[in-house]
This record gives sequence, structure tokens and C-alpha cells, in this order.
Amino acid sequence: MDSRSLAFHGLAIKRYADAAAVAGLTGLPADIAQAELDNAVATGRAVAIKGAYSLAPLARVALQASYDLHFGELRANEAFAAAYHGFERVNPELKGVITDWQTMDVRGERLANDHSDPDYDNTVIDCLSALHERAEPVLAGLARGLPRLSIYAGKLEAALDKAEDGEIEWVSDIHRESYHTVWFELHEELLRIMGTEREE
Amino acid sequence: MSRWTLRLDGADLPDRALVGGKAWSIARMLSLGLKVPPAFVITTAACNAYQAGGFPDGLDAEIDEGLAWLEAETGRTFGHGASPLLLSIRSGAAISMPGMMDTVLNLGITDSTEASLALETSQPSFARDTHRRFLELYAGIVMKAPPVHLDASASPAQWREEVSQAAGRPLPANPREQLRASVQAVFDSWNGRRARKYRQHNSIDDALGTAVTIQAMVFGNLDDDSGTGVLFSRNPLTGERAPFGEYLPKAQGEDVVSGKFTPLPLDAMRERVADAHDRLLAASERLETDSRDMQDIEFTVQKGELFLLQARSAKRAPLAAVRCAVEMGDDGLIDRTEALARVSRAQTIELLRPHLAAHATNGLTPLATGEGACPGVASGIAVTSADEAEKRGGAGEDVVLVRQTTSPDDVHGMIAARAIVTAQGGATSHAAVVSRALGRPCVVGCGDGVMQLAGQFLTVDGAGRVWAGALAMEVPGADANPHLSRLLDWARAAGETKFDAASDADALKAAEVDNG
Repeated sequence: MDSRSLAFHGLAIKRYADAAAVAGLTGLPADIAQAELDNAVATGRAVAIKGAYSLAPLARVALQASYDLHFGELRANEAFAAAYHGFERVNPELKGVITDWQTMDVRGERLANDHSDPDYDNTVIDCLSALHERAEPVLAGLARGLPRLSIYAGKLEAALDKAEDGEIEWVSDIHRESYHTVWFELHEELLRIMGTEREE
Repeated sequence: MSRWTLRLDGADLPDRALVGGKAWSIARMLSLGLKVPPAFVITTAACNAYQAGGFPDGLDAEIDEGLAWLEAETGRTFGHGASPLLLSIRSGAAISMPGMMDTVLNLGITDSTEASLALETSQPSFARDTHRRFLELYAGIVMKAPPVHLDASASPAQWREEVSQAAGRPLPANPREQLRASVQAVFDSWNGRRARKYRQHNSIDDALGTAVTIQAMVFGNLDDDSGTGVLFSRNPLTGERAPFGEYLPKAQGEDVVSGKFTPLPLDAMRERVADAHDRLLAASERLETDSRDMQDIEFTVQKGELFLLQARSAKRAPLAAVRCAVEMGDDGLIDRTEALARVSRAQTIELLRPHLAAHATNGLTPLATGEGACPGVASGIAVTSADEAEKRGGAGEDVVLVRQTTSPDDVHGMIAARAIVTAQGGATSHAAVVSRALGRPCVVGCGDGVMQLAGQFLTVDGAGRVWAGALAMEVPGADANPHLSRLLDWARAAGETKFDAASDADALKAAEVDNG
């Protein structure tokens, strides 16, 4: 992908983000990401609101249409497809772990987890650690097909490290690059690469 | 004198640092005169010796002695015989710690002991299933194999083959070797990544070590006078001071968890096994008094005899947390400082969350029902695109985002909306997960018809219902709940400020936003 497409692609995944975040997600140098996004605003392909950017609807459609060209080869790569299917197999498990994180079972009723029981929280973080270990071969397989995807593995590990060290917001807070945020972005990335739709 | 092991025979309370928290809690139950399945423990001293120089000399011989003692206590035999002894293997450090090995259950089952168990319980399918569950658990926990799901219709020989293949090494041939490998796996888990990091972060000494508890398993499915269940010393949802429990006759603990069977209320237990029932209630009382906290007790009744498997502080709903703290404070079980410490700010905020006014839905039929994904109540106009929700929400209008499903493309609309409703999806769907992170009331899986609600004014009750119009809501004051208002009185008297802003609407909103 050329740097303009990559900047658009990163912005599409982030949906609403500043240039630093787009650079961080795609591996583009920060100044290039900034220049591409400013240029996109100047040509009507993106809008800037309060220092952050969002793709214009037409640019979104054009980007979607360009995926066949950009990712055609990767889609035909059997090893990559196998890694992608591996991700989809771990994905329901991840959603289960996040749900266990957000809720707790009190005599058969699912209540919001108020994080008042450190033992319970630790058990869930344990599950997340175990899941991450199982996901590592999958993440490595994805990065073999497309090296920049290793960025996600690094961010996932960084979030897990913080969560394991007791900064529990790094499990699922949507306002930061928590484990769940990064996982969702990776999922979004993979759906775009493979040209498939998300299933609930 | 044993060097590496200790029998939990109720003689005196052992040193917690030596036997770990789990064995200590068994010993504590024994010291209160309560019946627990027999167990012995491999001490943290053995763990430290193992870390220094491998499997300690003499430990195998002591394990054999411990097994012989368990056989004598239970009248069952390990690895053979008409009444086979099955074991649970648990890790346990003095401080409860993440990353340690999970419990292995049903160790001791083989082709021959499966056959014995089938005869003894007259339930061949139970014996076969026990065998399968043991192999699945052992493969994952001790052999660290990727998750295997053994086909229930295959033979145990095929299962063993599958486990060996998944693990990349052969399954130990007999239960005694499996036991040794389990003990070793517990010791190894002490130095697992997660455990090491946790100790580092919390300044816990690496030399503390973990113990291994080896306990006989009891059977809740031997006859009509057997069963299994759980008991809470108080109601964990309301805090009401009445034991609250469930009982499943002629069943094993796993059956309760599986949800395949509907448990019966405690009264049904009294009708079947009156003596065990009375002992259970007495045990509940003793454990609560001794621990000064609400207890969650797992138990099994084997041929009419009650065994306590585990007792710990119970998880509880916010309502129960407040009532329990206040009533225990009133009874002098805990002092007021402790009562205040037991309730978190988040729990008081939850109690003051707006809800539908009483009778607000009288005579009304909900427009849609689904699975409640995030609690709370909110009203607004239904819009079906995230962009529209963002635009109208940003302009100050109250909107409810109604979507077939949601994806990351919709998050900006979810943030702008007062509540979220989806046609498809369950408790783990994107909409459910994100709405909980945002603290927005959410109902998922309402069916396709819900998309027709666009443009209507709705009230969404996160318990799972969508109503037409703006229904009356109540923002409860602290005085609506007598226990909460007493707790807040105590807080004021003690100069405790953590609940101060809890009834303040702005604080409520702030808490919703950062409760991710």
C-alpha cells in the first residue's frame, strides 16, 4: 500500500483519530501520516474536527473498493488465510473473556462487575493471559503474511502487561488502546483485508 | 516425622505460609468441627526444594504414605478396586495469587476404575464422562496442550491418543505418574510468567512458594441420599439475612455448573436428607461468624453425609453489599469502620442509578424485548445510524441508537446515544461489550422488527425491555434505601468521604464514562 492509502486505511479503522494514532496503527512515520491527512482535508477526502480526522463518506467507499487490488494477493495466500481463520476461532473466546470482565455472575444473575473482588478480576486477567498465549502463533502467522500487522501484537502485549501489573483499565477501556480496543481494531483490519463481513 | 507433607487431620491449625491458603481453609473448617473430604498437603518447603534442585528426595515416598492414609480414611483405593479413590489436585500459596495452576479433578480414573465407578453409581455414562473430563482437564492444565475437545462417542483409548498428540508427548501411563506430573506442574506454575510478574508488582517474596493440596473427591451421585449444591449464608442479591441455596440430588458438582439440570431449593434438600441439611445450616452459621463475612459454600452429600468442599467470601450485588455491611455492623460482627470499608463507591452509585418508577409500565406492553446487556434506564428518539445519532445527540437531542448489530464504525454513535438497542446479538456481542464500557443502557437481540421503531420516542430498560414513549423515571435518593442511608450516616460520623458525591448527578455521569 502507498502511504496515502495506508493513512486512509488506518483512519478508516480508527474511524476518528489524530495523525499520531494513525501513524501508530499503520507504522507510517508521523510526519508522513500528518501530511497525508492534511492533504486529504485539503482535497475534501477527510474532515478535521478538534485536531482529529475522519474520512469523508466518498473516500470511505473508494478505499473499500481499492481493497481487492491491495489485498488480492494476501487473500490468495493460504498460510495467511489459515492464520486469519485462527484469529476468528479465538475471537469468540476473547469476547467471552471481555464479557466476564465486565459482568459477574451472582447466583445466576449477570451483574456489572464493580471490580470490588480482586480475586475475580485476577482470574479473568489470567484467562486473558492464557488466551494471549494461544493467540500468539496466530498473530505471528498474520505478521508473516503482512509484516506491519506485528504492530498489533506489540500493542496487545503492551496492554496485557499493564493489565497484569494491576492497571486494570487496560483490559477493556474504549478510551485507550486497551487489549479489547486493539483486538477490535485488528479484527476490523482483517475483515477489510479479507473482504468479509463481521458476524455477530 | 514428615518432611514434605502434612495431613489435614484437624489436629491443630497449620502455618498458613507452609500449607497455602486453600489447605489452610480446609484446616480451618476442620477446626470448626466441620466435615471436609480428607486431604493432605505438600508444603511450600517442598516447592522451594524443587525450585532449588528438582523433585525433592523422599517426596514420592511421602506421597505414597499420604495416599495410603486417604485410602484408609475413605475406604476407597487409588487406581484400582471396586470403590476407586479419585483425587483433586490444587495449587495454593499463602497469598491468593493469579497465574497458578488450575485445579485438576478426577485424577485416578482409568479404564478399570471407570468400570468400577459405572457399577458403583449405576451410571455408566457418568463414569465415562468423568473419564473424558479428566483427560480434557489434564491435557490442558498439566500437559499444557492446546484446548482439546474430546468426542463423547469416541473410546478412552482414542481420547488418550488424541491428548498425547495434542500435547506432543505421551500421557503418563498410570494415575500415580499422573499425580507426580501434576505436583510438578503446580511447582512449575510458581515460576510462570503471570505469577512472576504479579509477585514482582506486589513485592511478594519469590521464596514464598506454593503448596499442593491433594484431596479425596466425594460423590454426590452414589444414591438417592447423595447430591450436591451451593449455599450462601445470606441472600447475595438482596443481602436478606436468610440462607439461600440450591441443591441437586444425585449429581456431581459439574452438573450444577453445566446448567443441564435445574437445582432445587433448600427445602427440597431438607425433605431428602434432613440431617445433612441441618448440618449445612449450622455450618453456614459457624463459618459466617468465624470469618465475619457472607459465605459462599460448596458442598456435596455422599450417602447422606455432608461434606464441605469450599467456603469463601461471597460475591454479592450492590444492594446485598450495603445491607450486609450495615446488618453485620449492627450485630457487632464487624465494627463500623470495617462496614464502611466493605462497600465501594461504585456500589453506592449503582444503587442510586435512575430506574423506572413503580407502576410506570402498568398495563403497557413492551415494543420489544431482548437480552439485557447493560443495566439502567434512558429515553430518547430512535435513530438507526451512528452518524445520525452523533449529529442529533451532539445537538442536544436525546437519542436511542437502534441497529441490526453494531461494529467499531458505530462507536461514535453509541457514545452520543442515551441507550442502545440491537436486533441481533447476545451478551458477548459488540453492542453489549461496548455499551457496558460506556455505561449506556442496552438491550440486544430484540429481533428484526426493532428496526421499524425509527423515529419513535422510546424508553429503554437495560433489564431487557423497550417501551413506547417517555416513561416516568425515579432517581432514587439515599433515603429510599434504609440500609444505604444508615451507611451514609456512619460515613459522615466517621469523616469518611468516599461516598460523598455518590448522590450527585454529575458524579454519576462521570462515573459512567470512566467505568470502562
